[in-house]
Amino acid sequence: MVGPSSSAPPPGGATPGSGSAADGGGTTAEAPIVSHAAPRSITPTTLKDLRDAVTAGTVLIRGTGTATTWGAPVRDPRTTVSLAGMDRVLDHRPADMTVHVQGGIRLDALQAQLALRGQWLPYDPARSEATIGGLLATGDAGPRRLAYGSLRELVIGATMVFPDGAIAKSGGHVIKNVAGYDLAKLCHGSLGTLGVVAELVLRVHPLPQTSRTVMVSGVDTAAAQRLTWALTRSATEPTAIEWCEPEQVLAVRFDGTSDGAAARAAAARALLRGSLAELDADESASFWHSHAVRIVAEPGDTVLRAATRPGIDPSLVRSLAAWAEHAGVKALLTCSPAVGGYTVRVTGGDAKAHAELVKNWRASVEAVGGFVMLRRRRPGVDAMVESWGRAPGGVDVMRRVKGNFDPENRFAPGRFAPWF
Amino acid sequence: MDREAALRAVLADVSAECGPGLRALTGAAERRAYETDALTAHRILPGLVLLPADRSQVAPIVRACLRHGVPYVARGAGTGLSGGALPSESGLVISLARLNRILEVDPDRRTAIVEPGTTNLSISAAAGEYDLYYAPDPSSQVVCTIGGNVAENSGGAHCLKYGFTSHHVLAVEVVLPDGSVAVLGSDDIEAPCYDAPGYDLRGVFVGAEGTCGVATRIAVRLLRRPEVVRTLVADFPDVPSACDTVSAVIAAGIVPSAIEMMDNLAIRACEDAVHAGYDRNAAASLIIELDGPAEECTELFEKVSAMCTAHGCDRLRIAADAAERAAIWAGRKAAFAAMGRLSPEFLLQDGVVPRTRLAEALTGIAGLAAGAGLRVANVFHAGDGNLHPLVLYRADAGQEPAAAALAAAIAELCVALGGSLSGEHGIGVDKACSMPEMFSPADLTAMDRLRAAFDPSGLCNPGKVFPTPALCGESRAGAYQPHPLEETGKIQRW
Repeated sequence: MVGPSSSAPPPGGATPGSGSAADGGGTTAEAPIVSHAAPRSITPTTLKDLRDAVTAGTVLIRGTGTATTWGAPVRDPRTTVSLAGMDRVLDHRPADMTVHVQGGIRLDALQAQLALRGQWLPYDPARSEATIGGLLATGDAGPRRLAYGSLRELVIGATMVFPDGAIAKSGGHVIKNVAGYDLAKLCHGSLGTLGVVAELVLRVHPLPQTSRTVMVSGVDTAAAQRLTWALTRSATEPTAIEWCEPEQVLAVRFDGTSDGAAARAAAARALLRGSLAELDADESASFWHSHAVRIVAEPGDTVLRAATRPGIDPSLVRSLAAWAEHAGVKALLTCSPAVGGYTVRVTGGDAKAHAELVKNWRASVEAVGGFVMLRRRRPGVDAMVESWGRAPGGVDVMRRVKGNFDPENRFAPGRFAPWF
Repeated sequence: MDREAALRAVLADVSAECGPGLRALTGAAERRAYETDALTAHRILPGLVLLPADRSQVAPIVRACLRHGVPYVARGAGTGLSGGALPSESGLVISLARLNRILEVDPDRRTAIVEPGTTNLSISAAAGEYDLYYAPDPSSQVVCTIGGNVAENSGGAHCLKYGFTSHHVLAVEVVLPDGSVAVLGSDDIEAPCYDAPGYDLRGVFVGAEGTCGVATRIAVRLLRRPEVVRTLVADFPDVPSACDTVSAVIAAGIVPSAIEMMDNLAIRACEDAVHAGYDRNAAASLIIELDGPAEECTELFEKVSAMCTAHGCDRLRIAADAAERAAIWAGRKAAFAAMGRLSPEFLLQDGVVPRTRLAEALTGIAGLAAGAGLRVANVFHAGDGNLHPLVLYRADAGQEPAAAALAAAIAELCVALGGSLSGEHGIGVDKACSMPEMFSPADLTAMDRLRAAFDPSGLCNPGKVFPTPALCGESRAGAYQPHPLEETGKIQRW
């Protein structure tokens, strides 16, 4: 176990902040993708063209390009297949509360269309400009995952294009369906290594009438943990609970009818302690927007995502601060305590310092059974630390899945290195 | 090596490795109890039944099967309705019934870690002291096991709002078909994560009908009990009005926790049997339940009540208390047992249609039934379009082939209306032959490729989900016969 138990300076490691100047600065581009052949980019507009585009060479699937750095760098992609030409709503059935879309539709565009009918996809990742297919492939989720689940819970049907050119679907248009294997779940988190998400059918929900947010400041780690449990044990049904460090602010969201959300917010305020503010619908929207922007990185930042069992582990928060101080960098933590999600944005310092923080904090997270992946990194970090740490169980099955669907390893090769 | 010798070799290996704690059933009479699940039309006598007393004994069993080429199926309570737990000819059954411990309930993290033989309802019972419960509620929840729920991705009346088993399982410890043990959805079953990285193998495993390995521990998510629950029964003079009401409620942006519908035939059978206060003359009845925080629930419940009236409801009954609510549900759930009053034999379907096509589906079913000269009663989960048509027939009048043809036609009608063959019972052997109605060869090839990544040997619950010549070349007709626990009224069928 690595230094998670106290705020004493972390042991070992190189002198903080001693990396070369070439690695520093905020102007450097994202880690470049190594390429030895003339790359080409294809933007198909039909399922058939999409299939034809992916059947030869190494393939990098691209939505709006918001997550090309997630996971390990892709080796030598000859063909970038953009889904920008497949961005339509194919069939919205408001009365059935389902929508059938192409994989390249942006989430914000989809939400705008659904809103015309008083509906939404109850899914609020920070990257609202990302495509729906990309969001499934990255397994991303936002604060309201607490109440509504992640995208895998909202997908009821999928059409995939696999490396052999097969166009295969699973699920369908109905919200309850157990016929066949679920290919959409397989693709959740696959980061473009198995196939292209060509079309999805999604379960949509009515737009909540209103949203209220209760803010508590001066909440330290122990208090954040305690208040989170108090909220989840109550009948107030918060739709999001988020905690930010170093600001030490806890934000709790309630969506529902006007009277209902107000009553739940009031009940929550009675439970919580500390300096309280309550935001109305407009203020809520603006706060949650800024909260999303918080984890969006500038070039040169490193962004880590950790998943642990539900809760805030105080040792992880302490060790993050300690390792950041040791490395001479700033670490901004956004935590979803009720579901055990941590997003850390690292700024300042050089690549070596970033790599050191990743390595050390990853060891702390893994010691409590969690996982840390790199979403983006300061140029130079890849040479010093792996993008993936400990693998989840079943990695051998993942390897066989990859081999069965993409035996030539053409789709995003290297994305899951060093696992496979 | 012939199968007999292979089974002896498996038994010798596991006896040596697991010791006397592992119970083995070798006599034909003992094995016969495992020849079928609740889809009793299909019966295959297993060659050997093993009942591990400890979860560490499961991996040696799977490894021995692999070594000697013996097909195996894991079994919970045997309440499945699609033949998912049907053994292979002279194959092996691993009964997980003795692995039934609740290992941990964490009231803060709202998780429970349980063994696969734990019954669905006992999880909620154990969590109850913390005001928590396990949400999926299949009608057999008194006896069905969480391991079986995981295999079938079970639903229940309340999955309209709360989702299926898949939404409530965080991680599964699995003995994979290669004999290794892995935790899907995490790495440590005692530290289950919401969002472990990589392919969502946990999501694939849940609902794979036992073809991807054997679960040995399951980490489930628990929910806080809702502050209030409100339930009503609305009677309608015709079926389309009831269907329109369902659509109106959904279109108004209200997500009740359950919307159930019964048609007149089902209502009469129920009422005659249990006198739960349903109106025998109603053409259709809706049971609508809302739950959640008090203000919100009350406000929406009033809206729903008004909508029922606006759509021609001629009798609205609102449960005054928990006892009356329980009576309403008891009436609804008695429908199955009551069906015996109408017909000694029937076939049960599990098709799904988009909610807006419910009326069309019911009209279509009525037309098919009239054409076949048979009666069909309908009791179903209207909120999510999951139909449970009951095709009534008399075997002694030679109606079985016509009934089987009608049941298949109904399932295929659901697919033709843009729906699915199965909402919650699974494909198993029952509907495997209809899979090509819903999925293309490319779809099925991709699914089989996924299955094969888990089980290259093909020994883990073979012959399920996918259509096979051996299965589909034969008659797929199968009359319903009640599970013994249904006969005693302990469990219901839907």
